[in-house]
Amino acid sequence: METPEQIKSRLEAALPSAKIEIIANECPAGERSLLVDAPSAFAAAQFLRDDEQLRLDYCSNVTGVDWPDKELTEKVKVKQVVEGVEKEVEEVKKTVRPGFLEVVYHLYSMARKHGPVVLRCRTENRTDRTQLPSLTPLWRGAEFQEREVFDLYGVVFTGHPDLRRILMWDEFEGFPMRRDYVAPDDFEYEPTPHDEVLAEAKKHYPAEAKAEAKPEVKA
Amino acid sequence: MVLVLLAVAAVGFAVAPLAAAWAWAKFFSPQKPGKDKNAIYECGLESKGDAWIHFRSEYYLYGIIFLVFDVETIFLLPFAVAFTGLPPGAFVAMIVFLLLLVEGLVWAWRKGVLNWK
Amino acid sequence: MIEEGLKNELQKQGVYVTSLQELYNWGRANSVWPLTFGLACCAIEMMAASMARFDLARFGAEVFRPSPRQADLMIVAGTVTKKMAPLVVRLYNQMPEPKYVIAMGACAISGGPFKQGYNVLKGVDRYLPVDVAIPGCPPRPEALLHAIMTLQEKILNQKLTGPDRPRHLNADVAGEFPVPAYGKHDLEPPNNPEVWQPPAIQR
Repeated sequence: METPEQIKSRLEAALPSAKIEIIANECPAGERSLLVDAPSAFAAAQFLRDDEQLRLDYCSNVTGVDWPDKELTEKVKVKQVVEGVEKEVEEVKKTVRPGFLEVVYHLYSMARKHGPVVLRCRTENRTDRTQLPSLTPLWRGAEFQEREVFDLYGVVFTGHPDLRRILMWDEFEGFPMRRDYVAPDDFEYEPTPHDEVLAEAKKHYPAEAKAEAKPEVKA
Repeated sequence: MVLVLLAVAAVGFAVAPLAAAWAWAKFFSPQKPGKDKNAIYECGLESKGDAWIHFRSEYYLYGIIFLVFDVETIFLLPFAVAFTGLPPGAFVAMIVFLLLLVEGLVWAWRKGVLNWK
Repeated sequence: MIEEGLKNELQKQGVYVTSLQELYNWGRANSVWPLTFGLACCAIEMMAASMARFDLARFGAEVFRPSPRQADLMIVAGTVTKKMAPLVVRLYNQMPEPKYVIAMGACAISGGPFKQGYNVLKGVDRYLPVDVAIPGCPPRPEALLHAIMTLQEKILNQKLTGPDRPRHLNADVAGEFPVPAYGKHDLEPPNNPEVWQPPAIQR
């Protein structure tokens, strides 16, 4: 199969307006993916499906990823005059990368027996501009999985034939798989709490936690 | 006279357990009907509408045409098993029977019965 | 009413005496028909329990009924999600009295590994009166057989009259349990206070 670079160059030749980026992967598998900008995502996906060499006719998986706002720290060397002497001082520059939602499609070819090609799409932000083009018209199997991504992450797929919640009930509010989702506090007493549950238990039963912290005196 | 006695005993034998069950329910277990309990069973979902619904008349036509295939299968199996040892007369009779059934199907098809409306 | 000692003495002589209550309970205990109803992997063990190797038929409980109208026992086999909980309660309501509930497996008892999740009920006992709880993830078919035997024991010890008679013989106790509604984040109410109260820590 073609490398992501080859696919990228052919995609750019076919769609001049598309902005395509290759995302590196540091894990041992090293599966690199193609990041396509939202306006040309549908056309790019159609190219991947119909291209004679690729023929990616099977969408095996649609995944949602939540990327919250991230603080990036960068060390910058700045020249400063300290006590009359010019010195190089390191300064920490902080920038905030705005968060976004991402949808990952894993594409395989049944006809050519190769794959996967990983296709990514990102929304503009996590609050109001969360629209992405639906790829259900291209791969019918993406329908329920896109519904699931909508249900749990809140990505709105434009052009989806039936965009409703699929796992949660219709009256549910919020998107439970987002990192900042706060479930209602319904903590209950646990006899053997540990890790996150232990922290919750200490919050709800402070006296109990104190009693446990005391060293037991045995005769 | 003996027959009448036996008949009474037979009916009594059948009715007595039912009567006992009815009397038991009457005197021991209180009835507790309710909105949910009396609702139409629909896999635990809230039931909508009535259980007594109309079937379209086309459904019965489908049922009858299904019989064509059904009868064919019942007779084709022994026909196939005994095929090698059949005299020519029996073979012809079977083919005529099959053609009659196929004719019925073709007639229904031509009439447009197989098109679901 | 016949005394226990006299009864045993008569039994030794080959005379068997019983009471209406015992006869009634004996009949009910040996014909517990469960509802065909599985929610997760525990249901596979439940199916295995009804097959030849474990043979639930020995306890008269092999007749899995596809309709709640004909079932006596609800085996809650598996994870009860919040989306499924109202349906489970409604199915229970549609069963005729007397009816029993077995909570099978860690999820049905307490939510199991999904207890801290956002869509799993922390135990079916929040809405239904559970008679027998089977721990395990999933419990083996033998554990289900043991639960059926425990339930049979419970049925055999029920009284026909008196203040501690079971719910189905008491006209004053309601037969239906309120079905929870879907809320914005959780079910409303999150539990049925008549059946279940949050655990209190004893110090």
